[in-house]
Amino acid sequence: MSVFGAFDINASGMTAERFRMDTISQNVANANTTRTEDGTPYRRKIVVFEEKNSQTPFHQVLNRATDRYSGTGVKVTGVYEDTKTEGNKVYDPSHPDADENGYVMYPNVNIITEFTNLIDASRAYQANSTAFGASKNIATMGLNILNS
Amino acid sequence: MSSLIDTNAFDYVNVLDKAMDASWIRNEAISNNLANADTPNYKRQDVNFEVQLAKALRHSRYKSMDAKVGDLKMNRLKPITYTDYSGFSYRIDGNNVDPDTEGVYLAKNQVVYQGLYQSTLQEFKNLQAVMK
Repeated sequence: MSVFGAFDINASGMTAERFRMDTISQNVANANTTRTEDGTPYRRKIVVFEEKNSQTPFHQVLNRATDRYSGTGVKVTGVYEDTKTEGNKVYDPSHPDADENGYVMYPNVNIITEFTNLIDASRAYQANSTAFGASKNIATMGLNILNS
Repeated sequence: MSSLIDTNAFDYVNVLDKAMDASWIRNEAISNNLANADTPNYKRQDVNFEVQLAKALRHSRYKSMDAKVGDLKMNRLKPITYTDYSGFSYRIDGNNVDPDTEGVYLAKNQVVYQGLYQSTLQEFKNLQAVMK
């Protein structure tokens, strides 16, 4: 990893959390969407994170030998649709998307769950942003030795 | 013997340099923990340098601090990165990062770095004062 790899780590955290917030926003925006491209109601989307490990085994051995840190942050593995949670069935015969019994399938989005996740993502983003400030502060301090 | 290269004028600067490197690596480790605060099954990592330094200094007991620092083997003084399984995990997703605790470590590490930085500056100031 480069000398200022800490910044990349902080940035990866902020990018991932922002992506998670975007997906949660998408879920909330589509909380009442009964019609998608394939005709089914909207399904809530889940973001999955994994530890980023972009380094080759050689790089890891080299980093260990030269006392460098070999972590490289976080990455988004993918966005998956929640197929386990049931959607809401509401009786509304006048709705254009109602079935022959008069029931409309609404998305499986739970606003409370989404907002709880949103707060979690926002706090995590803040933590990464604070960590970036700390990294910048330390790096600036280290470079200041040149001024002495 | 008389050249500036093989004097022990930079003994303390060398140790402070190593300690600052370790502090920077610790900052990276804590950053990585915070970035992975929501990664399932991630275990927090940390860097240990203080224990290594204490061990190295204990090697030559009954000597003055200057002699101890002069005797330090610089290539043995390494920051050790380890994975922290302590408490295993209190979370269902198998992750053991506590963002609040990491925040505190981050702030603490910053203060440590600042202290080392000021000490390094002081060392250079002393040298400059003599060389005037």
